[in-house]
Amino acid sequence: MYQEPAYTLRVIWACMKKDIKSALTERVFTIIGIFVPLNVLILLSLFVLSGGQAPTAVVMHDTGPYAQQFYDAMSHAHSFRLQIASASDAQNLISTGKIVAVVTIPADFDARIRQNQPVQVGVQINNLNTDFTNDIRRAIPLSITSFYAKAFPNLVTITPREFDLQPQDTDYIPYLTVSILVIGLVLAGILQSGTAVAREYENETIKELLLSPARSWAVLLGKMLGALVLSIASVIVVLCVLIFVIGVWPVHWGEVIGFTLLALLIFIAFGTLLGTLLKSRQPVIALSFGTAIPLFFLSGAFGPISFGTPAIQVIAQMFPIYYAIVLQQHAFHNFMLNTYGIGTNALILGVYALALLVVASIILRRSTLAH
Amino acid sequence: MSVQFTTNVGIGSKPARLPARILAFFHAVWVILRKDIRVLLRQPVNIAATILPPLAFLLVNALGAAAVGRNPVALVTLDKGIKGQQMAQIIHNADVFRITDATPARAHALLNNVAVAAIITIPSDFTQRVNAHENAPIDVIVNNLNLDFTNDIRRSVPDAITQYYQAQGEASPIKVTMLETNLRHRDVDFFQYNVLPTILLLLMISGLINGGLSTAREWESRTVKELLLSPVSRGAIITGKVLAGFVITFMLGTLVLLLGYALGWTQPQGIYWLSALLTIALVSLFSAGLGVAIGAALRRVQVVIAVSINVAIYLFFLAGGIGVLAFEPTWLQNIAAFVPLTYGRHALEQAVFYSASDQFVRDMLVLALAAAVAIVLGIFSMRRGITS
Repeated sequence: MYQEPAYTLRVIWACMKKDIKSALTERVFTIIGIFVPLNVLILLSLFVLSGGQAPTAVVMHDTGPYAQQFYDAMSHAHSFRLQIASASDAQNLISTGKIVAVVTIPADFDARIRQNQPVQVGVQINNLNTDFTNDIRRAIPLSITSFYAKAFPNLVTITPREFDLQPQDTDYIPYLTVSILVIGLVLAGILQSGTAVAREYENETIKELLLSPARSWAVLLGKMLGALVLSIASVIVVLCVLIFVIGVWPVHWGEVIGFTLLALLIFIAFGTLLGTLLKSRQPVIALSFGTAIPLFFLSGAFGPISFGTPAIQVIAQMFPIYYAIVLQQHAFHNFMLNTYGIGTNALILGVYALALLVVASIILRRSTLAH
Repeated sequence: MSVQFTTNVGIGSKPARLPARILAFFHAVWVILRKDIRVLLRQPVNIAATILPPLAFLLVNALGAAAVGRNPVALVTLDKGIKGQQMAQIIHNADVFRITDATPARAHALLNNVAVAAIITIPSDFTQRVNAHENAPIDVIVNNLNLDFTNDIRRSVPDAITQYYQAQGEASPIKVTMLETNLRHRDVDFFQYNVLPTILLLLMISGLINGGLSTAREWESRTVKELLLSPVSRGAIITGKVLAGFVITFMLGTLVLLLGYALGWTQPQGIYWLSALLTIALVSLFSAGLGVAIGAALRRVQVVIAVSINVAIYLFFLAGGIGVLAFEPTWLQNIAAFVPLTYGRHALEQAVFYSASDQFVRDMLVLALAAAVAIVLGIFSMRRGITS
């Protein structure tokens, strides 16, 4: 039966308004839902706050010029957060877990260096895991090589000569927080849309919606627009913190806005699908966290997936989060993390959005409610 | 002649009443515990939703572990001389990179396609320069997208250079060497290390959600009225709720520990199984007690889930997350000292990885105290909810 466009638009508007009003009656949950992405941003940022530099105590039994140069070489090795300590203080710090390494420069360091004799620098490591332990194991040779390159440039002639591809280093936090923005979009989208749809089933108001003459896609669209309005509130909060507090300014503002809306659309569609399938808010909420956080770790949040294992590379490219991260990294930092180009990445996201919308619509139309 | 019927008076009657009361208490606790577990088991989606995040996280961890600390680089060896070939061999053997040998053109293509993080080039005059004691640079072009793996490259190349000099033995001009001693008797792989914090995250989410839901659901479905009108003591109701959350959480945590054991990731030895299980039990009790407190305070299922997940994630990250606490700023380390999960994690690491009981008493005392406080909070919260 042909329905007037005006009628369809009224349906969409009514559903959107109804969902927003329903959400506002559950103020506690709505406010929590708006701030969840911000919480995730703060917490995951805590995770990388240290910048990966190993807190290390240096026990300087020798304070001569060569010993001081060695200490300087260590401080420029991009690997340590140094503090000078006595031997007993250093032992206390490492045994209480305040530091992870103690480097001891022996008392005859300068004398032995001058006489070209072997000298051992003691390195005690709290080898909790191989990741940072190996960083320290490599940072000491870096320090040794840098020390010799400055102190005895004629002796150690092999040195690294570095050229950087990007005009400047991107610190770890500005890089990671852009990826975290995407996880915020995922959570905001799925939570708001999934719970809105599931609520209809729990309250059994879905019967009235399905039996009404309104098209199911119009109902769906209205609900998704309602979720979009609420999600945007969440995204604005996260973007404000990212830009004004953490200080990560986008290079391409238009891309930030465009890709954010596109990503929200996908995750709202997915949340709608999840809510329609599960018909209950409890599992929707639990699964939204349950899927979002592992997928975030899988999708190149910490660096290009091409640097990861082949398994990760294949799995990551099956999910839209990966493409959303690639696009946002370009929007903020102007670098590409894959070879597909902006257009293709955006097109892939568009296809995901369309597919999820269609599937959600079909599932809604076919869904039933047991009495 | 009058016959006195006494029921609750007299010297002999009190001892006979007490066992009956105790039996009634435990019977009520058992019934509530069984009921809540049955309700949970009827919602397999919720169980899946609780266990899925940590399992998925473990899987991601395992899949990505092989790449940790070893960046992909392209190695271009332009020097045919002996020193150049030696250096190339050392770079291959150093096990700090995942190397692709390439021509200059292919190497640049790989770099531009973000397939490698850096190009290491041994110049064509490398051997000549080394023999002439002239400066012999090794060129490193780095895609410095982010500082984390960029610094890995910056450390790894000098490491390879140092190994080159070390290979010369006594003839090496580098006289400074490193004498390494380790605090722990074994290295723990990165993804193995992450298993224990993941178990703790599971325990927190499960205890908070299950404890919270079993409580909040009573208000939302208005079955709390029947509970209050029954002759069951309120202590039994609260105990039953906490125990239900505890049992489910403890079983899930033990299951993941056993899974880790079967996969060779977490292998406690002998008596340290007991310390690991005791730690899991105390954390489960803490999270279940806290869950009941949240459920009784909020009394709405949807809100309880959202708050519980937030609380679990906050406690998890404030205890160091999957990182090492020593790397965090001092203010965060100070906060972690007040988070019970910090002690749970320490106790689990000692038992599972090092078969040690370093500060075991301290850890258990803190966890027991935290569990007690959480249960008391749960009791207060339930009583307030029941009164209102």
